[in-house]
Amino acid sequence: MTYQEAAEHAFGQAVSFDPQILRSYDHDLGEMPRPLMALIQHRPHTVVVARSAADVATALSLAKRYDVPVTPRGQASAGYGGAIPSRGGMVLDLSNCNRILAVDADKNTVDVEPGVVWEDLSRALAPHGLDNRVCPTSAPSSTVGGWFAMGGVGIGSLRYGSIRDSVLEIDVAGLDGTIRTFAGADMEPFHQTCGGLGVITRLRLACRPAEAILPLAVRLPDAAAAARFLETLATTPAAYSASLVNAGYCALRAQAEGHRPAITSGFLVSIALLAPQADTAAIARLASDCGGEVLDDAVAAQEWEGRYYPMRIKKIGPSALVGEFFIPFEGFAATSADLTAALPDDAFGLEAFAVRGGKLAVLVYILDDAKALLYPLRMAKAMIPLRLAARHGGAPYATGMWFSALAKGIYGPDKYERIARLKTARDSRDLLNPGSIGGPWLPFLPIISLSRCILWGTACLAPLAARLSYTRRRATKHPGATA
Amino acid sequence: MSTQEQSPTARDAALAKMLAEAVDTCARCGFCKVSCPTYPFGGGFETFSPRAKVAFLKDYFEGRDVLTPEWVDRLYRCTTCERCQTVCQTAIPLVALWESVRADIVTKGLGPMPAHKKLRALAEKHGNPYGESASRQSQWLSPEHHPMEAADILIFGGCTASYRMPSMLQTGVTILTRLGVPYAYAGGEEHCCASPLLRTGQLDVAGELIGKNLDLFARTGARTLVTPCGGCSKTLKHDYPVWAEKLGKPFDVTVRHFSEVYVDLLRQGRIKPSVAVNKTVTFHDPCHVGRSQGLFDEPREILAAIPGIKLLEMPRCRESSRCCGAGGGVKANYPQMAAAIARERLDEAVATGADTLVTMCPFCQGSFSQAIKESEASIGLSGLEELLLASLRQ
Ligand SMILES: Cc1cc2nc3c(=O)[nH]c(=O)nc-3n(C[C@H](O)[C@H](O)[C@H](O)COP(=O)(O)OP(=O)(O)OC[C@H]3O[C@@H](n4cnc5c(N)ncnc54)[C@H](O)[C@@H]3O)c2cc1C
Ligand code: SF4
Ligand code: SF4
Repeated sequence: MTYQEAAEHAFGQAVSFDPQILRSYDHDLGEMPRPLMALIQHRPHTVVVARSAADVATALSLAKRYDVPVTPRGQASAGYGGAIPSRGGMVLDLSNCNRILAVDADKNTVDVEPGVVWEDLSRALAPHGLDNRVCPTSAPSSTVGGWFAMGGVGIGSLRYGSIRDSVLEIDVAGLDGTIRTFAGADMEPFHQTCGGLGVITRLRLACRPAEAILPLAVRLPDAAAAARFLETLATTPAAYSASLVNAGYCALRAQAEGHRPAITSGFLVSIALLAPQADTAAIARLASDCGGEVLDDAVAAQEWEGRYYPMRIKKIGPSALVGEFFIPFEGFAATSADLTAALPDDAFGLEAFAVRGGKLAVLVYILDDAKALLYPLRMAKAMIPLRLAARHGGAPYATGMWFSALAKGIYGPDKYERIARLKTARDSRDLLNPGSIGGPWLPFLPIISLSRCILWGTACLAPLAARLSYTRRRATKHPGATA
Repeated sequence: MSTQEQSPTARDAALAKMLAEAVDTCARCGFCKVSCPTYPFGGGFETFSPRAKVAFLKDYFEGRDVLTPEWVDRLYRCTTCERCQTVCQTAIPLVALWESVRADIVTKGLGPMPAHKKLRALAEKHGNPYGESASRQSQWLSPEHHPMEAADILIFGGCTASYRMPSMLQTGVTILTRLGVPYAYAGGEEHCCASPLLRTGQLDVAGELIGKNLDLFARTGARTLVTPCGGCSKTLKHDYPVWAEKLGKPFDVTVRHFSEVYVDLLRQGRIKPSVAVNKTVTFHDPCHVGRSQGLFDEPREILAAIPGIKLLEMPRCRESSRCCGAGGGVKANYPQMAAAIARERLDEAVATGADTLVTMCPFCQGSFSQAIKESEASIGLSGLEELLLASLRQ
């Protein structure tokens, strides 16, 4: 039986080799220049829509039998290239593995298939008096499995840490077609490794009691004051989530949405408090001690309601380069100042999530136009924020395919060694999401990692790129839009 | 087929430019994908999602891809329910995009779908897509109704209500009659509002029908058009002003969906629902009434005013309401898909435990009535106005 016959036999209508179908699976959130994409086989030759753990196991054993690379994919809402094939092969679309398997209201846990969408999970937990502890701001579309495999922080991370801290147990399918359960430290290698060691088919999550949330908005005069404020806020029992944006971000969003910016200078911190324990007077005192002020309730409500729309500013881009990094609270002010100095002519917005343990996950949006001639060159700017942050104790946010060369720094040497050993044992032919751990390789020189070339290239080009500011071509709202 | 000049530019350059720019801003977040009622009917492949369609259109506008029959088919598998547009991260006017591309497809002779061509032929010949004769248009009038020759209010029945699902129209007019609110009705002269033709990209014939209706409205001298239909009211509110300008005809009227009229009457104290209607109901927000016109509070205000009614909301309601599957020409050309979408929504309604599913659009009513029959679901179906009428003293 040929590979195609075997795949059709196993999956019937749920497998496709149609080029028109396949074209939808050759990209993720990131807008990479075409010449760069041309260096990898980004278009798969097969797509399988899995609807169960058994489908996943079947797809993986098929891949092993026919030596076909497999790239798992949730909603492809991450921008690190993890869900893009680097050697063609099969994309395993997991977004239809989306059943909620069991809720244990006594233990505050839920078992889910990997393709369950965060917002759907929140809705399904509500009747049980539970809610997600953490979720990304892409919660209306992104999947539980995708976020765990990608690693990240988001809403709720001030109280509950990263997604890793809320996952209790996982099932992972391997190339041999078996599914094994991992918990505790054994789970660690599957976190942040983008499916490079196996495909997650079930996750058990810890949930929080579904308490009402009270949003508050505070303006702080500068980055140092914002960091000081967050540091104390983190110790407040009612603190659930906190994120901040700079005035530049507010200005861009106001322009995109057609209203007046909430702040015109300093930083806007949006706080979500657990309502039953909230002490708003104490927060107001804290804000004032840091030289800030509590803003109108309407601003707070608007920020909380708009929490899933961080990329609205793209409307005036039309593209956005995104630089991301972790930074300890104490390094934030210096990094922020360096950024302003390094990108003097750019319209950039800064958004950050406070994370348990005293750090911030910072996103820097630099508006651009992916169609412009100089875009591939200006892309080097996306690495500037991480480089500046590194001077002040910063670290990379995630790996994926594009930043796999940073994996050691992200995982730490111990986890890195463990992953490397497991990779050899579980997937010696590098079929599981090839490129996500250590690769991908340059097509004409397959001993050099493309990810490393990107790091070198952007390091060399960044000074030049920083001088090439982008003039926006329009600043209007799309007429007719209802959102 | 893949060049710039073959994109929708010829028809409306400014709109085409705006839409081509808008697709550039797509953040690829996938919010539209998970909320689209038709995406699951593409076998679960991303390609059938609005996000993938936007990506395709971006390439198409930039000359990197061509409109194949498969893409044409995918682009017609959309009910124009506006859910994707409501959730869009970068506020792309997605429905304008879908409709504009459909018009482009028709201009190039690559569409519309076979059933849509039939709608067109019937509308051209009979003035309505059901192929009914004008003489049957006012069949729903009962002896109790007394339309005037001319009045401030002109009832616009709409084809679906007039010829297929008359209960809402009939009841609405009965309520006006009993309250002594004067109204005119031009039964026999009304043409299809053109919604099915606009949504399927058949702009030439749509323009003809709209022109005839504009002439009719001007002739009657009406100040307010009142209709029970979501599709008609959306089209009259949003499309007619644009077309009136394009055709150089006057359109100096206010358009109101019946629910808006009831709310006014309630607030003015002219209707006083007092007879208990002991029902536990759930309300389905029709896409073209809710998301298109923002009428979310009005039906709930009416329900709240009726003694004995208990409202149980479906989890997906108001802005996030799920489509009934009928709009955008989908029911005509993809009846099975439309029926499956309606059944899904019906299941949500049944799950609330309500004994009656309430709507306020004859299109939705048609979909659900079929779905209830086919699935033998144990839930009743009622138009909002029927409940209201039942609560008024004779
Ligand atoms: C509007 C917006 C807001 C965002 N906000 C945040 C945020 O607050 N925090 C944050 O961290 N990120 C954020 N992101 C990025 C992204 O949404 C998250 O990383 C998200 O969790 C990815 O989920 P996904 O289902 O789209 O995964 P994908 O992008 O499909 O996959 C991510 C990686 O996981 C792998 N993978 C997917 N499923 C599995 C599986 N079952 N088993 C093994 N490997 C798998 C893929 O191969 C890929 O390498 C945001 C993105 C957008 C568009
Ligand atoms: S309008 Fe409705 S059916 Fe059409 S793409 Fe958007 S969500 Fe899907
Ligand atoms: S919701 Fe809007 S921005 Fe997000 S993928 Fe869909 S079209 Fe693009």
